[in-house]
Amino acid sequence: MNQSRVSRCPNRFGWVAVLVLVLISPEALALEANEYRQFMGIDSRRLIWFLAQMHLFFGAFVLGVPLFAVIVEIVGWRSADSKLDKLAYEFTSLLSVAYATTAALGGLLAFALFTLYPTFMGYMAGLFKDVMFMYALLFFAETFFLYLYYYGWNRMQGGGPFPVKLQWLFKGLGILIIGVAVVLLFGGFGLQMRGDTRSFIALLYILPLGVGLLILRDLKSSHILIGILLNIAGTAIMQLANSWAGFMMSPAGVDQEGELIGTVWQVFENILATPIAIHRMLGNLAFGGLVAGAYAAVKFIGAKTPAERAHYDWMGYIANFVAICGLIPLPFAGYYLGREVYSTSAVMGNNMMGGDFSWTFIIQAMLVGSLFLISNYYLWSGMTRIPGSDRYYKYIKFILGALIISFAIWLTPHNLPLTSGEVGDMGGSQYHPTLKFMGLMPAKNAVVNLIILSTFFSFLLYRRGNKSDVVPISQQGRIPQIVISLAGLVAVAIVGQYALSMFNLDPAELDLPADRAHYFRTVGYLLAFECAMAVLAVILALRDRGKLAQGLYMTATALSVVIFLGVYGFVVMEKASPFLRNIAVSQFLQLISCIILFRGARELGKLQWGKMTVRSQYALLLLTFVITMNMGLMGFIRSGLRGDWHIFGVMRDTSPWSYTPSNYTMTEMVSLAVLVFMVGVAFMFWLGGIAAKNKAPDEPADKPDEVPDGSAASSIPPVGG
Amino acid sequence: MRSNAIVRVFVFLLVVLGTYMWIGQAITAMTGGERKAASVVEVTPEGGEAIFWGKGRCFTCHSLGGEGSAVRCPNLGQFGEKFPLPIGARAEQRAKERSEETGTHYSSTDYLVESLAKPDAYLVEGYKNEMAIVYAPPISLNLKEIKAVIAYLQSQGGDLDLDNIENPGELAQSYYARIAAASAAGGGDPGNGEEMFADTCSDCHSIAGDGGDIGPDLSRIGEKGLKFISQSILRPTRKISDGYETWVVVTKSDERKHVGLKSGDTPAEVQITKATGEVAVIPRDDIREIKQDEGASVMPNDLTEMLTVKDFQDVLAYLMMQKGDEASAKEAAQ
Repeated sequence: MNQSRVSRCPNRFGWVAVLVLVLISPEALALEANEYRQFMGIDSRRLIWFLAQMHLFFGAFVLGVPLFAVIVEIVGWRSADSKLDKLAYEFTSLLSVAYATTAALGGLLAFALFTLYPTFMGYMAGLFKDVMFMYALLFFAETFFLYLYYYGWNRMQGGGPFPVKLQWLFKGLGILIIGVAVVLLFGGFGLQMRGDTRSFIALLYILPLGVGLLILRDLKSSHILIGILLNIAGTAIMQLANSWAGFMMSPAGVDQEGELIGTVWQVFENILATPIAIHRMLGNLAFGGLVAGAYAAVKFIGAKTPAERAHYDWMGYIANFVAICGLIPLPFAGYYLGREVYSTSAVMGNNMMGGDFSWTFIIQAMLVGSLFLISNYYLWSGMTRIPGSDRYYKYIKFILGALIISFAIWLTPHNLPLTSGEVGDMGGSQYHPTLKFMGLMPAKNAVVNLIILSTFFSFLLYRRGNKSDVVPISQQGRIPQIVISLAGLVAVAIVGQYALSMFNLDPAELDLPADRAHYFRTVGYLLAFECAMAVLAVILALRDRGKLAQGLYMTATALSVVIFLGVYGFVVMEKASPFLRNIAVSQFLQLISCIILFRGARELGKLQWGKMTVRSQYALLLLTFVITMNMGLMGFIRSGLRGDWHIFGVMRDTSPWSYTPSNYTMTEMVSLAVLVFMVGVAFMFWLGGIAAKNKAPDEPADKPDEVPDGSAASSIPPVGG
Repeated sequence: MRSNAIVRVFVFLLVVLGTYMWIGQAITAMTGGERKAASVVEVTPEGGEAIFWGKGRCFTCHSLGGEGSAVRCPNLGQFGEKFPLPIGARAEQRAKERSEETGTHYSSTDYLVESLAKPDAYLVEGYKNEMAIVYAPPISLNLKEIKAVIAYLQSQGGDLDLDNIENPGELAQSYYARIAAASAAGGGDPGNGEEMFADTCSDCHSIAGDGGDIGPDLSRIGEKGLKFISQSILRPTRKISDGYETWVVVTKSDERKHVGLKSGDTPAEVQITKATGEVAVIPRDDIREIKQDEGASVMPNDLTEMLTVKDFQDVLAYLMMQKGDEASAKEAAQ
């Protein structure tokens, strides 16, 4: 990797040092001849690559864990479950050590970049100096909120509610801010921003702030608001740093000589900045959850008593659940990022899918497929702790079959390296007569949706495992009825609005002739049918036919998403290729509507936490290893796409390391980084354990609690019938 | 017990990472290792080979017989029934066919130069024009590197003619000029630049008689050099051509301010052509004030917001080719 290829998500404390250099950097931005240096004869690119990867791993952990912690804290608060609150605290306690380590690595990376690649970094610092100042200020904000969040945890428990007038004031403010977020989201203002940036700001900054104020009523909810502010600051820091990485791939606001000809906002809001930020945000959530899960797994493996095993089994389960919430939309965020990469440069896009990185993507497909396969295995293992779940074991082989077939198709490349002789054996074509179809996008879209649906189905089985009879909804009071109706409304709204847009889509917008509009209408009718099925499912559920409703809607979704649109995708690819991405969006929306509609069921009975095989804990560990390796691999692809450019099309990499490393080099570098990271994390967990042991007995600590009952855990995963 | 657990997990991690590296190693062994870009290239088949498999990224889309695995674009070697001849021999055959069809002599160099400089000129059946502009970013090959690639391709089953590559016929020469102009302009794509010009600039400016007359004619703008053109687009007020100064006229009757070019000036009236193309004819006796505004230009000053970096480079490349002669205008239009 070249130097710029690895400056993915620069740093934290280190940038404070950078800012000092920025202050004295010259104003002129025009490019000069690149200067490269080495430290003790070490390959500068590999050094930067390793440091950046380490910083990124720790940074993702530091950003992912607060997300995880606040979600768990909110659910614990809403369900009055002190165990969830303690769990959130336990993970937050790990943050302070990780935070300092991230900062130290950030400093090291920054100094390495400035000393080894002075020309490039001088240019970047000159161009981004305003953004870097904001970065530093936000860093102070994040530090402030993090320590307030951690050290204020116990002090902000309990206490009476705030005066009613004050509560109403906060509610009013919250509603006002949520209103601002909604107006911004739908383009009431901020139209000069890219749509994705506007949505990112509305949904991840303004909306959570509004919600935090809306729920403000006592000390505990104030603590949650601090947690939300901590996440807002962390997300903003990540977004700012992403703008640098995005700029290096899709520069904006500068001319071919690197001179600033636009505005700093244009430079900041380059095409790839927000798509990368969205992808990284979801990745951080999954990563934070899985590192937490790995912690629980190690503790489980070494547990001495059933109580310990029960505690860490439960902890691992919740961590895995949060991770899956981040994992499910991740492939779609990846598609969006990939599409924007193609929009930026077809050369870069072709290189990604068919050039230097085509085989890297095969490895990536193996890793992503493994993530889903192992997640399902973990769920199936979890069913052993659920009395009565053996009724559903018979379905597992079918789910496994669907997953393996999907996985195989997901992995199948469109073409393979062949000799002339092999081509002759296949009738003169480099494409296999049957398998070539499996390598195309429609097939991959279909199977990725089937993988997600299968995983969701595993969840349903898991959640139903301990239910002998479904309690009729008519006997559950009004709230479940309202929740199901609202979920139905949301599902219809999500799918319905896209159905309408399909009927109104002008073929010219996709550079297609007018006679291709019927392809859009077909999808529109299909989505309208999905809406009708959602309505029918809600009606059936309200009439105490919940199981039938669920089966009907899932079957309809699977048929539509996997079978119909999977096959129809090939037709569209042949006749109206640009419309293929709309097909992918249709599949995604139907899938999401299916997941939304069937959340919110209650769980009955007790789960036997701790009755898990040790194998399942290795599965949890493997998930963490795989996602960490995948992060390293994806970073290699993303930054390597620039080829021999520090800044794509603007500043060439003229260093001796200006070439794309092989996949073997990539796996070596990533493995080294993963190994060092995991050892570092284990050390941090050990330190956290010592700190917890030194705490007063009334404080949450790294000690086994009583075995949580099923209802405690059920408040987290709101899936099932 | 706990330390045992950590050891077991650590061993497990090593196994996983070992498997990961084994996969990477196996794939690298199958696909080949790192390809380092050649830093100095001579116009020889060896130099072209280094470019083809390196900096030029040709291997992303083209295979060469059994070498490489790309299938997006035609295989350039002898491969299966579809490609019975390697590209050198293929180029000679196509040049011969075209010579017979048109009665004009074409060489294999002409064919190969054209296929790199203007890939849609001849499309192999079953393939779309997906070829990147190799002399534009991010590939940005210079003319010497392109000549080296042509030498390499010509050497694949054809008669290598280095003299013809250096001194080709009129057609290839015109493409060389196009590539040189594009390289000089930072490697923009003049074809896309022409489209951008038509969309963004031609309402006011003309080239070879096509376009508006609010702004200066740009048929010879290429002679003024890259710096001048670049500055004129980015900072139009820095150097305003004679006769294209901005005038401000304020009327007595309705206090309106008219800003634009003074396109007519008689004892009875003044004619102001605005940036929108609207023409205001103002009687002399209705003028309260008339003055030249040296700090303003009728040319929009927000072009940087309308053009991406690539569009800007493309327009520059197109304008650099405008040197007044009909050939360059035609060539740009190709």
